[in-house]
Amino acid sequence: MKAVKTTELTKLYGNRRAVDGLNLEIERGELYSILGVNGAGKTTLIKMLCCLSRPSEGKAFILGKSVTEQSEEVKRLINLSTQATAVALNLTVEENLRMMAGIYGMKADEARQKTEEMIKALSFEEYKSSRAKTLSGGWRRKLSIAMALITQPKILFLDEPTLGLDVLARRELWKLIQTLKGKMTIILTTHYMEEAQALSDRIGIMHAGRIIASGTPEQLMISTNTTSIEQAFIELSGGGADAG
Amino acid sequence: MPVKAFAARNFKELIRDPLSYIFCIGLPIVMLVIMTILGRSIPSQAELEIFSLQNQCAGMIVFAFSFVMLFTALLISKDRAGSLLIRLFASPMRSYEFIIGYAIPLALIAVAQILACFGASIILSPAIGESLNIQYIPLCFLVSIPSVILFIGLGIIFGFLFSEKSAPGLSSIIISAAPILGGVWMDLDMIGGQLLAVAKCFPFYYAVSSCRKIMEGNFNDVPQSIMILSIWAVLIFIASVFVYRIKTKEN
Repeated sequence: MKAVKTTELTKLYGNRRAVDGLNLEIERGELYSILGVNGAGKTTLIKMLCCLSRPSEGKAFILGKSVTEQSEEVKRLINLSTQATAVALNLTVEENLRMMAGIYGMKADEARQKTEEMIKALSFEEYKSSRAKTLSGGWRRKLSIAMALITQPKILFLDEPTLGLDVLARRELWKLIQTLKGKMTIILTTHYMEEAQALSDRIGIMHAGRIIASGTPEQLMISTNTTSIEQAFIELSGGGADAG
Repeated sequence: MPVKAFAARNFKELIRDPLSYIFCIGLPIVMLVIMTILGRSIPSQAELEIFSLQNQCAGMIVFAFSFVMLFTALLISKDRAGSLLIRLFASPMRSYEFIIGYAIPLALIAVAQILACFGASIILSPAIGESLNIQYIPLCFLVSIPSVILFIGLGIIFGFLFSEKSAPGLSSIIISAAPILGGVWMDLDMIGGQLLAVAKCFPFYYAVSSCRKIMEGNFNDVPQSIMILSIWAVLIFIASVFVYRIKTKEN
């Protein structure tokens, strides 16, 4: 069973096709990056896969469950860390984590235990009693990811996780994401080429609502006869080929 | 328990904002004291019952609830401005759990407001030599339930429809209009005419008059006022659920 499978998935906003007949398959345990410029349709695609937006046409399945027919079951399998601040600013790190555990149905004892584990695993000890609004951008983003991880999702959606972060904070988050590889399926959207290259098992290049090429970073570079994902992206965005 | 976790978060957000103490508790008590002092300075021959401690206390409770609406709108519009709500919409929480999760902590604040207003009145009562029908306080609590639902419903509507900049502004229109149309500052029944006719078109008049009549021990018109107020409360709350559903679908 595929982690994600879409068939002719389409989202229309008026006459505009934000996502246009998208066919995508992502394996379990894979880190799949969706790379595209602003407005390519990455966030719209994530919203449909997370049951936040209903597809206009086509179908999408998360671990075999339909995002339209079985959305409640899908929501138990996934979690999402969005591109903007997705934490409760007046709550401490510990309270934010416990809140998410509670929202996903964990009992108080289990929530407390998982929170402790998460604080330790992500080195939040120093900040666990700090309110989220006092954290730096990097730590807030890390907290946002921790709030997703505490629910033990089978599929983790990271929508532009490093957007707006400085280079050090970005590298710190990359390290965290790398430690998660293989433990769950991760679908990451980004417009940073080097981020997609450094983290992904496979990359899908999205342009005007379509995946115009998909494959490992090496496959994409070989197919375009280039030496970096950035060059491959530029090459492919002008034409379009399937490398994988 | 998703509702418990979400309600606890909302409660903490509210009680950690110093403005909620100032507006939800402090301001109604200050206004109660000011209006009582004002009432004391009016010659007794004028027979303005509106300024009696009992009447002011009942009116001030409804005035205080309007700030519950403001803080509901602020909380929701701020959640929408960030991405927390998007992440929660992707969680297994159901629509009714969201609404209840927002409503419970605000209802608790409303209870604190009622206690604060009555507490202040009980302290003021011997100081100014006016009696207070303490035995009717529990009944006044019950009669206030539709008003609390009404103002929370309005807050949910404003919070989901408007941005964190617009929602407080629009709420302030209701905060200004509610005590006037409810007759908190003046006796609408005595003024009568078109103002009373207009006031009776809105729920605030019934919210204030039902509390006042209960505190006076005059139960004659109370059932009718409560019925009209309850219809308003139910309609506004249904509208708030409707607005919530539309806004979540838009995402």
